[in-house]
Amino acid sequence: MFENTLDSYAHSNNLKNVNINFKVLFAFLTMLVSLISTSPVIPLLITFLMSFLIIFKAKIPWKFYLKFLTIPFFFGFLTFIFMAFFFGTGAPLFEPGIFNLAVTEDGFNLGFLVFSRIMGGFSCLAFLALTTPMNEMFSIFENLKMPKIVIEIAMLMYRYIFLFLEEAENMYYSQKTRMGYGSIKNTFKSLGLLASNLFIRTWLKGEQSYIAMESRCYDGSIKSFKAHEKISVKNITILLFFESFLLLGIYLTWGFKII
Amino acid sequence: MRHFIKSKGDFNVHIMEGFLPWQWCLFWYIVALPVVAYGVIQIKKITDKNPESKPLLAVSGAFIFVLSSLKIPSVTGSCSHPTGTGLGAVLFGPAATSVLATIVLLFQSLLLAHGGITTLGANIFSMGIAGPFAAWGIYKVVKKSGLSTSIGVFFAVFIGDLLTYIVTATQLSLAFPIPTFTESFVKFMVIFAYTQVPLAIIEGLLTVFIFWNIMKLRPDILEDLKVIVPKIKETAKELI
Repeated sequence: MFENTLDSYAHSNNLKNVNINFKVLFAFLTMLVSLISTSPVIPLLITFLMSFLIIFKAKIPWKFYLKFLTIPFFFGFLTFIFMAFFFGTGAPLFEPGIFNLAVTEDGFNLGFLVFSRIMGGFSCLAFLALTTPMNEMFSIFENLKMPKIVIEIAMLMYRYIFLFLEEAENMYYSQKTRMGYGSIKNTFKSLGLLASNLFIRTWLKGEQSYIAMESRCYDGSIKSFKAHEKISVKNITILLFFESFLLLGIYLTWGFKII
Repeated sequence: MRHFIKSKGDFNVHIMEGFLPWQWCLFWYIVALPVVAYGVIQIKKITDKNPESKPLLAVSGAFIFVLSSLKIPSVTGSCSHPTGTGLGAVLFGPAATSVLATIVLLFQSLLLAHGGITTLGANIFSMGIAGPFAAWGIYKVVKKSGLSTSIGVFFAVFIGDLLTYIVTATQLSLAFPIPTFTESFVKFMVIFAYTQVPLAIIEGLLTVFIFWNIMKLRPDILEDLKVIVPKIKETAKELI
């Protein structure tokens, strides 16, 4: 049922066994590098490199990944159009002749920069989401000394989310087979019923699971297995070289504009 | 499940990864952090006193996540997602909601690729702090003035949502003040007014319906909520 979510790929990709700290550090540093860039060159390069890693190294089906990439692309492209038209003060480049609209040079450049940053950042996020299972992320949070209570609630929440999505889906389809979404009025009624019943059911599940946990000696904390792996020297070197290469690229292309 | 998870073409208020310049990412992290820290302290107090509230807080968070992944048909023809935090704020109080919303936003970015890691601070501030605090405040004010719970819930969610959009527009126009902050703000607000104001009204009505249903079917749950917010019991009793 979850064949199309990011979560299932996170558990079954070719980079699953790569050191978790390394993956997170790699994705996060690259994301930051993409963010500080003032030219679209490096973010776009990052997009290609990350997509390459995701498709050829992590072996995520390219069809799925490209479909997934249409989300930021669509959004980024809208942003680009919006900024090109409305966020410029300089000389107009192109006037379509309606409503006094005009694409300006600085608007175009800004829009393209934001577009490339969205694509760059998003591909790093995709790398993280598609190669790193959530339960391993929790061990990272623990290492970052996040408050224990937050991690515990997050862990429980992660478990419940999938239970509830399944429950919501069941309710949704049984409503649908009974013409629950036939008209706008019915749609709102059905959505309201679905959400309120979901709340009640989730609440019952929460109570039951507390009883179940308490009967198994739950004392308010969940013990989890923590793997304390160190990143190998070789990987650290690769990482440092890669990031400094990108930083050098940022320095060289500083302020570079398309037009 | 794909129906719930699919997000292509939907418009939502999350600021996407890479959208904000790094200075503003940092700024919003610094602004959001103390409030979330305060919420964590509050949650720690609650759970230390009664450990059974821990799973309940977790299901509440999961509920916010699932609620925010439901699709609501909007007037403009597109689909949009409710923020879900308004209901959370009314039920559990704004401090707890800010922590839950933080975790929900993190999951949304890692599981659905909504929002992002670097823009997490800004998203927490708009959806997890500004919205819920406004919703909770409005709810209290309406309740004090003697109007019905339904009106209170509607305006809490409606104004909470509106404030979320206004804060998001502010964040965007602060990051891109071209040519000036005000002009840029107006541009972003025009977009939001078209896409999100109908949604805020719809979400308000929907939440009233949800609240009303819970009251009707299982008022005891709302009484039990005194684990998290003691005052909710009175609200539930008034309605029975």
